[in-house]
Amino acid sequence: MAESADHITCMEVVELVNDYLERTLPPDEVTVFEQHLNFCDGCDLYVEQLKRTVETVGEIREDDVPAEAKERLLSAFRDWKRS
Amino acid sequence: MTRAQAHPHVGSTASHEAELVARLRAGDEQAFETLVDEYYPMMLSVARGYVRSRAVAEEVVQEAWLGVLKGLDRFEGRSSLKTWIMRILANIAISRGTREARSQPFSSFAVHDDEPAVDTDRFRDSSDGFPGHWRAYPRDWGTLPDGALLGKETLGVAMQAIEELPDSQRVVITMRDVAGCEAAEVCEALDVSEGNQRVLLHRARSKVRAALERHFDG
Repeated sequence: MAESADHITCMEVVELVNDYLERTLPPDEVTVFEQHLNFCDGCDLYVEQLKRTVETVGEIREDDVPAEAKERLLSAFRDWKRS
Repeated sequence: MTRAQAHPHVGSTASHEAELVARLRAGDEQAFETLVDEYYPMMLSVARGYVRSRAVAEEVVQEAWLGVLKGLDRFEGRSSLKTWIMRILANIAISRGTREARSQPFSSFAVHDDEPAVDTDRFRDSSDGFPGHWRAYPRDWGTLPDGALLGKETLGVAMQAIEELPDSQRVVITMRDVAGCEAAEVCEALDVSEGNQRVLLHRARSKVRAALERHFDG
């Protein structure tokens, strides 16, 4: 955090955004952070971009299980069942 | 919001898991198939964080599933099933990665890397009246056309950006934001501290944001 307890720069904000979104910033830092967002459109926009980034990544669907891999696993399960 | 918050059914409840384990032990193949469908994709993504080759990663995942079957009778439910499976996977991936002479414990990754989340030249310097503040504001993504952020092209950009991340960052963002794991689950599965997990996630998300920004700003 900056030397002054009641002021942070935009450069510092972009390093703290993730902690803020994760709710791991201490309460007094949350206050300073939010105060900054109140008067700084630039950082407000940046935080929005980061939130939307997380949403976008959340829409990524990983590939389904390859059929051959699944067959091998089901076969392994049947072997395990028997043992 | 995180994927886990947006999709509350992602991640299992204790009762759902207990039922699944009981069915597995009873030899219910459908239950096993459900489990595989649910976890295989994430396991492959994570394995690829440890061993670059997809073929080797698939072997690691197969081995992990065998480990799951072998250990199933002894699983006591002290951790979640998901965490337990991911832990088995991580252990196999690490030892395989070590044999492939490429992986290091994730705890060592975050410490030395000092890159900023945003290029420092985006901010005013000390010769300016407002050092540390934006030179020009980031763009308002709310003005993008509907669906631009969640469309196929944009997802492709995000996927590519994730693919290019350092391994440890890729694994963490994949587990957290693609697969919807909770922070604690990631820490336990990968054996990294909460602090390191957060730094890795911060770096990963920052880089993906930057890639999306470059894409939209043309």
